[in-house]
Amino acid sequence: MDRLIGTRLARFLIPAVFLALMLALWEFAVAAGWLRRLLFPPPSRLIGSAIELASVGVPVGNTLLYNASVTLARILAGFIGALVLAIPLGLLIGSRPLLDRATQPIVGFCRSVATLSLLPLALVWFGIGETSKIFLIGYGCFWVMLSNVIAAVRLVDPVLLNAARTMDIPEHRLFMRVVLPATLPRIAAGARIALGVGFMVIVGAEMIGTVTGLGALIMEARTFYRTDITMIGMLAIGILGLVLTSALARLETRLMPWLPRGNAEAG
Amino acid sequence: MDHPLSRYAGLIGVAAFALIWELAARLIWRDPAVLPAPSDAIMQALTLMQPGELLGHIGISLGRILAGFALAAAAGVLLGIAAGWFSWFGMILRPLIELLRPIPPLAWIPLAIIWFGLGEPSKVFVIFLGAFFPVFTNAYRGITMIPPVIFRAARTMDIDGWRLLWKVAMPAAMPDIATGLRVGFSLAFGILVAAELIAADKGLGYLIMQSRQLGHLGIAVFGILLIGILSMLADWQLGAVIRRTVGRWAKV
Amino acid sequence: MEVANLGMNDRPMRSGAGPAMLAEPMPDAANGGTDPIIRIAGVGKRFASDTQGSEPVLDAIDLTIRDNEFVVLLGRSGCGKTTLLNIVAGLEKATSGSVLVANRPVTGPGGGKGMVFQQNALFPWLTAARNVMFAAQSRGQSKAEAAALAAELLRLVGLDAVGDKYPSELSGGMQQRVAIARALALDPAILLMDEPFGALDELTRNEMQDELLRVWQVRRKTVLFVTHSIWEALMLADRIVVLAPRPGRIVLERSVDQPRPRSRTNPGLLALHEAIWQALQAR
Repeated sequence: MDRLIGTRLARFLIPAVFLALMLALWEFAVAAGWLRRLLFPPPSRLIGSAIELASVGVPVGNTLLYNASVTLARILAGFIGALVLAIPLGLLIGSRPLLDRATQPIVGFCRSVATLSLLPLALVWFGIGETSKIFLIGYGCFWVMLSNVIAAVRLVDPVLLNAARTMDIPEHRLFMRVVLPATLPRIAAGARIALGVGFMVIVGAEMIGTVTGLGALIMEARTFYRTDITMIGMLAIGILGLVLTSALARLETRLMPWLPRGNAEAG
Repeated sequence: MDHPLSRYAGLIGVAAFALIWELAARLIWRDPAVLPAPSDAIMQALTLMQPGELLGHIGISLGRILAGFALAAAAGVLLGIAAGWFSWFGMILRPLIELLRPIPPLAWIPLAIIWFGLGEPSKVFVIFLGAFFPVFTNAYRGITMIPPVIFRAARTMDIDGWRLLWKVAMPAAMPDIATGLRVGFSLAFGILVAAELIAADKGLGYLIMQSRQLGHLGIAVFGILLIGILSMLADWQLGAVIRRTVGRWAKV
Repeated sequence: MEVANLGMNDRPMRSGAGPAMLAEPMPDAANGGTDPIIRIAGVGKRFASDTQGSEPVLDAIDLTIRDNEFVVLLGRSGCGKTTLLNIVAGLEKATSGSVLVANRPVTGPGGGKGMVFQQNALFPWLTAARNVMFAAQSRGQSKAEAAALAAELLRLVGLDAVGDKYPSELSGGMQQRVAIARALALDPAILLMDEPFGALDELTRNEMQDELLRVWQVRRKTVLFVTHSIWEALMLADRIVVLAPRPGRIVLERSVDQPRPRSRTNPGLLALHEAIWQALQAR
């Protein structure tokens, strides 16, 4: 048994067979009346709804791809905005120990503030439009990113700085040519975490005043008792997350070819 | 390095932040319905609410968080260790988990309502989902990343089977498990507000939403700060417990 | 570059450095030049965190090193040898005393003091060749000049084939070869080495010692080398300076007159080994 488990074919086959079995069991359980069709729409139904969503759209015109692109645009706007603000600010704070100590409690606290609890404030400040959603995503991403960038600067291996100092590097070049590249892996790790936060917030953000986006689709479907659409939407947002994460990982290996392969996770 | 101010830097930072906020609210915005000053927020919360009412909201919210987190901790640690220890179990469980993990916990809200109704179970379920995945992933990683030399050393002492799991593998995986628990706990706090969007009539998330509708933005701000403070305190507490236990022999 | 002219005449040590200038220990080693290039006078070091009564890390160290001399600082952990090296490098400040390199007081790192660290201090985001070029360009060389120098130095340390590899793709021994090439690319007046082979296995370590001597004979430099290995000191040094801890002080100074390459069965070295072993027992 152990030897069988070890082979690569088995590694792929066993989970695949298991998943197929689960799906078959689900289908059968609904057909046999053990599970209520309304609560657990069977896989066959899901496939049908997926095709409907992808081609016609629910409501008509809002196809799955369209909803996904709307959600993607919102996440990227908030995420990139947060990065653009947090990276320079974090580099500044991280390289000034006194400033770091002064801002530490605030950064820690703002990071602890539940992003979604800001929803009412966002509504008052920015209304129910796009700005509110992007603000919420941006807020969540920003503080995670900021604390990671600060830590990245603080954790630069001092031996690298000493090595550079033996070479008479002036301070501003030391920063650009040593500190910055040395912080990159941790900054990238922070960006990955921030992206995860963005995905967590988006669904909440899309509860406000919109019928477009995957989050809205998931929520709206419930009011029509279309559990199948909710499930397709969940799957779609999961896949969107995976695609974006792997794109980010690819960008990282591009940007940092020096990292040992397979070690990108550790940063 | 030891600037005379550096000891109080954190305190000064917080005070400066509060002062800037207060001044901005009073001198620039001048509209507590848009940006309440911190002093307004506290005053509003203390005058418009009975102390018992506030404590009630806090208690309900903490109860939901603790219930969801406790379930997530138990399930995540147990399943994570089992998946890491029994390779066949890991093989069938992990693809399932990896399939569900990228789905944001909030996206489960409709299913939670359909499956569990509008009561407490659906709220606890959403919080559970938020905390479960990091706990599971870290426990699994903790078990599978144990250096083989640890197991070889144990074998030379004739330790195997369940004893190997209980006496060697679990302690060795503890630092990772602790990390997962900590991440899961803070995620539970982050999701609370969303969970309380599900037809709640009590709890801090409900309080925040309700206050906006009543035009008491100060109370909403107060609630936001309160969740942040509670989340921070809880994280410190859990961190302290971890440092006192696992932290005595591992870097956590 | 701070180090202007190595052939410049010495001025006597300024008397301001302290009245307690003892007669300079003048070693009798015949090899190496005769110009003092490093003068360490009355250097003491106490950490701010030390309590008043505790012994200093370094206590009134006097040491003079001549141009092109290979001096090894030898001692057990905690004797302050790395602290002394860091003070000469300008990475740490002495609490008392003074250090002159090429007749100029050390005020900070840089200024033609090459250093090889114990840990891998190569920049992980630069290839081996780029790491060496980084040092060459830091002293104003053009990119083309730096590339040529990097190729030459990597060849010198026996690594002509791996210039475009990243440090993480190199073995520990290869990493330290690149680190030596990088330090040499500064064209330093002195080369400071902090247990550079400490993390290597013994065979690699022996190879690296031979390699270092070969490089040193091609590019003569003053070397100040820190180690806790008696044999490493015996194989490399013109002069061995033994330090003892609490307080960090010099307990023995011996020249090694044996020609290189040296053999471990050489009776002269064995006798020296015994003397140093005894000195190291000092607490």
